[in-house]
Amino acid sequence: MPGVFEGFFAKRRKGVTLALLIAVSLLCLLLSNRTVVIRPKEVGLSVVGFFQKGFTGFFRWFGDTAGSIRQLSAARDELAVARERLQDMDRVTREIVELRRQNASLLEQLGFAQTLPPGRIAARVIARDTDNLFSTITINKGSRRGVRAGMPVVAWQGDMEGLVGKVVLVGGGSAQVLPLYDPQCLVSARLDRSRHEGLVAGQGKDRATIVMRYVRKTAAALVEYGDLVVTAGLGGLYPKGINIGRIREINAPAYESSLELSVEPIIDFDRLEDVFLIDAQPETAEGLK
Amino acid sequence: MNKDLRVTLFTLLALGICIMLQSTLLGKIAIRGVRPDLALIVLVFASLRKGSMVGQWSGFASGFLEDLMNVSPLGFHSLLKTVIGYLYGVFSGNVFVDPFLMPMVLVVVATLLKGVLAGIVSAIFGIAASGFITFTGRIWIEVAYNGVLAPFLFALLNLFKIFKQADKEGA
Repeated sequence: MPGVFEGFFAKRRKGVTLALLIAVSLLCLLLSNRTVVIRPKEVGLSVVGFFQKGFTGFFRWFGDTAGSIRQLSAARDELAVARERLQDMDRVTREIVELRRQNASLLEQLGFAQTLPPGRIAARVIARDTDNLFSTITINKGSRRGVRAGMPVVAWQGDMEGLVGKVVLVGGGSAQVLPLYDPQCLVSARLDRSRHEGLVAGQGKDRATIVMRYVRKTAAALVEYGDLVVTAGLGGLYPKGINIGRIREINAPAYESSLELSVEPIIDFDRLEDVFLIDAQPETAEGLK
Repeated sequence: MNKDLRVTLFTLLALGICIMLQSTLLGKIAIRGVRPDLALIVLVFASLRKGSMVGQWSGFASGFLEDLMNVSPLGFHSLLKTVIGYLYGVFSGNVFVDPFLMPMVLVVVATLLKGVLAGIVSAIFGIAASGFITFTGRIWIEVAYNGVLAPFLFALLNLFKIFKQADKEGA
């Protein structure tokens, strides 16, 4: 009998291997898609993240060296401009301090408890998705630096802070972020001016446009092109008031009972380099300093 | 060392480098966020040259690596790449690959095949792959990108002695 089996496998070596590999893949898919298997991905992410850091660091070193030589001469001119701006900023800072004092006083009078701003963990983008099927941003901070799954991720571009997405998978020294433009990334949102609520979701294929749905049709008269969309703070995942984007198109399909708003994200994802993770438990971030 | 194993390991090294480049440096030359799939081109080349055994093992291992680097469920890319590696390996030694046209055609077909398989797997397992499962404009950008790069990458890989051996795998 063993001879029969050996003969069978020898003749069908390729077919048996194919069946085996497909079976392993399907088993992994079944288990990981039901979120039963999480550890292998996390362990793998830690290992892969190490190499991704190395690759990014290697190419960044070349880019930075060439760039720093160029920037040196430009820095002199910028220094003079910066000094002037510094004087302006001094004045603005004094005004902000005064406004904060007034705001605190008013909040106290209104009986509101002023909440401390949440802690932030700074991170750098080290890699993106390997192909065009999934939307992934890999950052260089992991569980060792207090990063946890579900943390909201924001970034500054220009003079505005905008929502990037949320952490979905955490390794030891790196983590994966699901960006705002992914269809799986759903954010409870609010129109900053009219205060109407809705649900923002990505479209996947287009990074420059996300969609806000479930906005009541009665809001149509109050919604304007360019209106700011911010997080509503519902659901407890994203803090209230983070900028998401600006309205670029207003659609009111006859077959829908709500508006469909095309929103241009505040963040240009192609230029994204540095991000901040919002720690809902500031003591974690404090402890890491 | 077994010849198949040696070729598979070398192919895996090339695939690993390509995947790392795709997730880091190639983002800079992405067109509308779409980057070329160099790993797919290497897989097609290696499978055609060395047969389905090398093709499916290389495809499985490189796909597994991609799964670790993406938010995709474990097994998604490994399944796609195993099937592609096997199918192209079946034609090993039976397809005349000229320096220009055939690499383009073979890689264009492989990219479309990847899209179709991704669509089928996503539909069966209910995976929300945000890419080109519905054959929107993005897949055609990748098809064109991969097609243009294929002759150059094939020419580069042809320089490696390990791929030059014209040993046809036992069918």
